[in-house]
Amino acid sequence: MSDAEPPGPAVLDILVEVLGESADDLRGNPVLATYDWNSITSLLALAQLESRFDVTLDLRALHAARTVDDLVGLVADATGSNATTAPH
Amino acid sequence: MPHTDLLAEVRAAVADGRTPGPLTRAALATTDDPMLMRRAGRVLAGLAPPADGPDDLRPLRVAVLATCTVGPLEHLLHATLLGAGARPTVELGEYGAFELTLATPGRTAADLVVCLLDESYFLPARWSAVDVDAIDAHLERRLADLSGLVAANLDPAGATFVLHTVPMPADLRDSLVSLRARAAVSRLWHRLNAGLLALAEEHPQVVVVDLVSALADSPHPARDERLHRYADLPYTDGALLVLAHQVRRVAQARLGTSRKVLALDLDNTLWGGVVGEVGAAGVQVAGLYPGNCYQELQRAAGRLRDQGVVLVLASKNDPDVVTAALTDHPDVLLRPDAFSVVAVGWGAKAANLRDAARSLGLAEQAFVFMDDSEFERGAVAAELPEVAVVSAAGDPAHLVRSLLRTGWFDVTDLTDTDLRRPALYRSRTRRGDFAGGFGSSRDYLMALDIEVSAEPVTAFTVARVAQLAARTNQFNLTGRRFDEATTAAMSADPGHLVASFSVSDRFGDEGIVGAVWVECGERVWRVLNAVLSCRVLGRGVELAMVGWLAGQASAAGATAVEATFVPSGRNGVAAGFLGDAGFAGPTNDDGADDNNGGGGHSLALDGTRPGPPSWIRLLERSGV
Repeated sequence: MSDAEPPGPAVLDILVEVLGESADDLRGNPVLATYDWNSITSLLALAQLESRFDVTLDLRALHAARTVDDLVGLVADATGSNATTAPH
Repeated sequence: MPHTDLLAEVRAAVADGRTPGPLTRAALATTDDPMLMRRAGRVLAGLAPPADGPDDLRPLRVAVLATCTVGPLEHLLHATLLGAGARPTVELGEYGAFELTLATPGRTAADLVVCLLDESYFLPARWSAVDVDAIDAHLERRLADLSGLVAANLDPAGATFVLHTVPMPADLRDSLVSLRARAAVSRLWHRLNAGLLALAEEHPQVVVVDLVSALADSPHPARDERLHRYADLPYTDGALLVLAHQVRRVAQARLGTSRKVLALDLDNTLWGGVVGEVGAAGVQVAGLYPGNCYQELQRAAGRLRDQGVVLVLASKNDPDVVTAALTDHPDVLLRPDAFSVVAVGWGAKAANLRDAARSLGLAEQAFVFMDDSEFERGAVAAELPEVAVVSAAGDPAHLVRSLLRTGWFDVTDLTDTDLRRPALYRSRTRRGDFAGGFGSSRDYLMALDIEVSAEPVTAFTVARVAQLAARTNQFNLTGRRFDEATTAAMSADPGHLVASFSVSDRFGDEGIVGAVWVECGERVWRVLNAVLSCRVLGRGVELAMVGWLAGQASAAGATAVEATFVPSGRNGVAAGFLGDAGFAGPTNDDGADDNNGGGGHSLALDGTRPGPPSWIRLLERSGV
């Protein structure tokens, strides 16, 4: 993925797979605690996000993320990309 | 197979309720992308056995007991073990209960118990950097604890335990500022790992894989400190995939799904250059790079041959040119007699490999094919998907690793038959040539001077008999696969008889090719299973086996031998065997017994004892 490409869609894809929820549900209610967001799934997401975007994330920041958009912002900061495009 | 295709195929197969095909399984055996394997494994955890029809996969119950968090190892095992031809069920031990579980034998019912170990088990919670002796004493004590716990769980008919060497934690190494003390602690840690490896020599049911050296060859770091501190997960996904592949190799060896044949291309695989263009003197096969790479591949293939792997030459060339080069080139290591089958010509390689499989009497799934040509690899993969394909393309420096890294040929122990297999199969192809000169198969069989030797299993033959049980699919009467420990236990039990059968003829000694497992009742002997290698099918050896067994039963006072044929979808060759051997009993259309395992066929021992076919000389030794 190029630096300029917004990470939203790929982050959403990863969360869809990790949480087993539909993209529509995650867009409708982006609060992670609503879903099965626990130590196992958050680490699974961490591994996939780091592999997908070739970045290293701070685990504290990952755990501080409340919503899908927070995660997108976290990845955007790490990749230096533009996060303003919402997940779609 | 591209990664996107692999995951899509896995998802489609699970959704359709079908077993992923051989190409997908081979990809799972070779893929080293932890994220892809983790995702594939999650999907495969939902793979159900076929509702009807035969199952291509072998069931395998796996238990994972860990001194730490298991993490993604469960899913990685689902992916890698499917690559071994297994249908695994994976049961996880309770977190924090590693020793408790081991201290309570019988808490896990598994074929394979994988122990995921980390330094927390061996190091004291608090250790002093200035008291190396205390660390030494603790490591020794904990190794002894583990050894005792594992030994207490080793039921002769039970699971195989898989342990691994443990990386020395960087914190331990780098906390010591004294170079001398650091070297001393490293030595202690190496001794700990040597002690772990020694457990495999002490107990036949223990396999110890060298995770430390495998990680040294891996591009993946062993540890992610965040995961270690947060989740007690001392290994990264990549490191756990390395371990999962090592477990796959153990499973392959245990299940008998490892390969037996290596088919090799010549030009730009076993030597550099095209011999038809540059001549024998022009090929690169020694000296400096890149010639040394090709010679090393020949050396590696020769080592595999020394351990029982059958070599086949598969080359598109003029046969005379190839023979001259293999014979006369001073630096060629694999001479023509190293190959059990030489398939050199201009025909399609897939057809040549199919012919080679037929002449060797082996299934195509026993083959690995290595070639530099993408076209040839693609054609073989398309026509013979059961053949594992290895690329020899690209930099020849990688040839040896490309061949060896997957562990296609792993076995638990080398048997005498393994060591002699290449010569045995070379004899077999010569035997096929000899057959052309006879008017009938009976004349041919009479001329072979076949001898069958029968004897109860001994400590020297039990490994080969267990290997036959694991590997024989075609002539496998009931499909019950008794492993080495069970076979050994049965052979020591007066209520059972396990016998091995060896065959020799004018072309050579085939070694042990058949076995029977029998429950010896006072009046009735019941055959639990009988297997016969496909190498000797069609010679009436199975009838000689029955003749010997009937004699043993009769001598012990029994009045009948009972046996059951259980169809597996692959053992049709054995369907009519019991009737041919004189057993009476009703059968279904497919040859299966009506009464499902209760000894459907019976051979009355009423004074007339079935003898071996007239072309076989039976050499008898007493069984009970």
